[in-house]
Amino acid sequence: MSENVTVTRPGISAVTDLGRSAGGAVGQMSGGALDQYSARVANALVASHPRAPLVELVAADFAALTSVNLLVAVTGAPADVSVAGVPMPQWEPFWWPAGTELAVTSLRQGLRVYLAVHGEVQAPLLLGSCAPDSVLGFSGPLRRMDEIGVEPGPLRLQDAVLGSPVVRGAARPMRFAEHWRIPVTDGPDRDQFGSSAERLHEGRFVISTTSNHVGLRLRPDASASLPARERTDEVLSRGVPIGAVEVPAGDELLVLHRGRGVTAGYPVLAVVTATGLSRLGQARPGHSVEFVRVTLAEAVAAARAERALIDGVSSRMTRLLSAQTSYRPGDESPATHRVAS
Amino acid sequence: MTSLASSGCAVQVLDCGDSAVRVTVNDQDRHVSWRIVHGLAALLRQTQAPGVQAILPTYDSLLVEFDCAATDHTAIRAEVVGLTDQLDSLPVRTPRTFRVPVCYGGEYGPDLTTVAGLFGLTPSEVIALHTAEPLLIRCFGSPAGAPMMDGPRFPAPVPRLASPRALVSAGAVAVAGRQAVVSACPAPGGWQVLGRTPLSLVDPHREPIAPYLPGDSLRFHSIAAADFEAEQGMLA
Repeated sequence: MSENVTVTRPGISAVTDLGRSAGGAVGQMSGGALDQYSARVANALVASHPRAPLVELVAADFAALTSVNLLVAVTGAPADVSVAGVPMPQWEPFWWPAGTELAVTSLRQGLRVYLAVHGEVQAPLLLGSCAPDSVLGFSGPLRRMDEIGVEPGPLRLQDAVLGSPVVRGAARPMRFAEHWRIPVTDGPDRDQFGSSAERLHEGRFVISTTSNHVGLRLRPDASASLPARERTDEVLSRGVPIGAVEVPAGDELLVLHRGRGVTAGYPVLAVVTATGLSRLGQARPGHSVEFVRVTLAEAVAAARAERALIDGVSSRMTRLLSAQTSYRPGDESPATHRVAS
Repeated sequence: MTSLASSGCAVQVLDCGDSAVRVTVNDQDRHVSWRIVHGLAALLRQTQAPGVQAILPTYDSLLVEFDCAATDHTAIRAEVVGLTDQLDSLPVRTPRTFRVPVCYGGEYGPDLTTVAGLFGLTPSEVIALHTAEPLLIRCFGSPAGAPMMDGPRFPAPVPRLASPRALVSAGAVAVAGRQAVVSACPAPGGWQVLGRTPLSLVDPHREPIAPYLPGDSLRFHSIAAADFEAEQGMLA
């Protein structure tokens, strides 16, 4: 039997995952969830695979109907989440009963909300990922009345009570603010900026409205000024990392995010850390950013600490959910990541 | 073929954020640097080192992206340095040459006469140089994996447009500096557009999505505007 989720109010939403790392080898962007932390936590809370497809909502209201009882989790920016009009928590799993509408409205403070499902979300794959690629024309935004195929996971409570969270996931919500302290490490071309490189860490930069999944553009506010290149020799095209901070001609900084072209000829002044990139995935136009210089060791330690938290949520939820179901002994992955092409 | 492993070139591994390193190769011969960079990329893909996510080789460098929760800079650095001894063990792939029809000039190539003027050549002479020999693909470029090639033997480097175009069509055949490219998808661009091919280069619904690889070549030939539609299809 094929079950599905029908989109009744798409807003700006898409089925995505952690991105297409295999695309880089053939010159394609990574794409995928811009707030990888919230996306990973959402899947962890429903004991799904970290790379399982999930829905990413950007800024606007969203609603959908399900044909089957689903265990779901909603993470990311604060919003009003409800099922059949009953308020539901974020950063905790809850039941979405068959025939009811789940709504996510009034997104605030951040930009992106993630909706993950215990079980299998069906989505076409390109090079191992369902992440949309607007450049290639692969996949794309959800539209009204789109049907997303779902196969509920092994946990099936016949007496699911509307709105009752089954367990506590103990996930740590992201902290939201209008001013973001974003850690960066020195880029490989920092010396090309001489002493002006320091300006990146002095004062605040304001996110402009032309920012998107390709990158964020930021203008220095009154307290800040732009670093400037001291050398202008032509740079051969090189692979650029996600998070690269560049200073193109003009009056803005550019921070590349997951939709970036994989090669470019600009020097890399600094690189936003993995944990910082998730936060920038939530920062709104008009928000201000302070780029805090950290060492590589500090950045790696922060990324590992964050991942350990998520892994903790995942194993806890897997254990708790397994205890509630007639689970096959020895099978430690309740949400096997199978996706139909 | 000269030995790459014994070329004695300097391989430098620079930290590039918490989840990537940039490996640069500085041989006196840029062609040797390029071969080493792509050789290292192929070896890294073969070894499937844990945590490695993407390997992006271009001209004199490759970017290795990884999950820093699963591996670290030290491990990747050791992996790369260890592989430099194995460069000569790579199987040699026979490169392919693709024939690419191009409508030069007019609405298809708005900068043909400008480029001709820069060199004191006629448009026909520019076309003759652009079609004279296959152009070697050095790497995938942005966006969408466009083939980045060595340019034709023009008398001097080609300057970029003073003001980039907001939109350049897919299939645009362009030059800048000592380089040449064919656009894989519509995008803004600051290169001088000489013509346009009716062929599509990438298709997300094909496997592989692009038929060419670095090391292959594109051989351009001139077609009449009247034949543009008839020649449409996929590059193959």
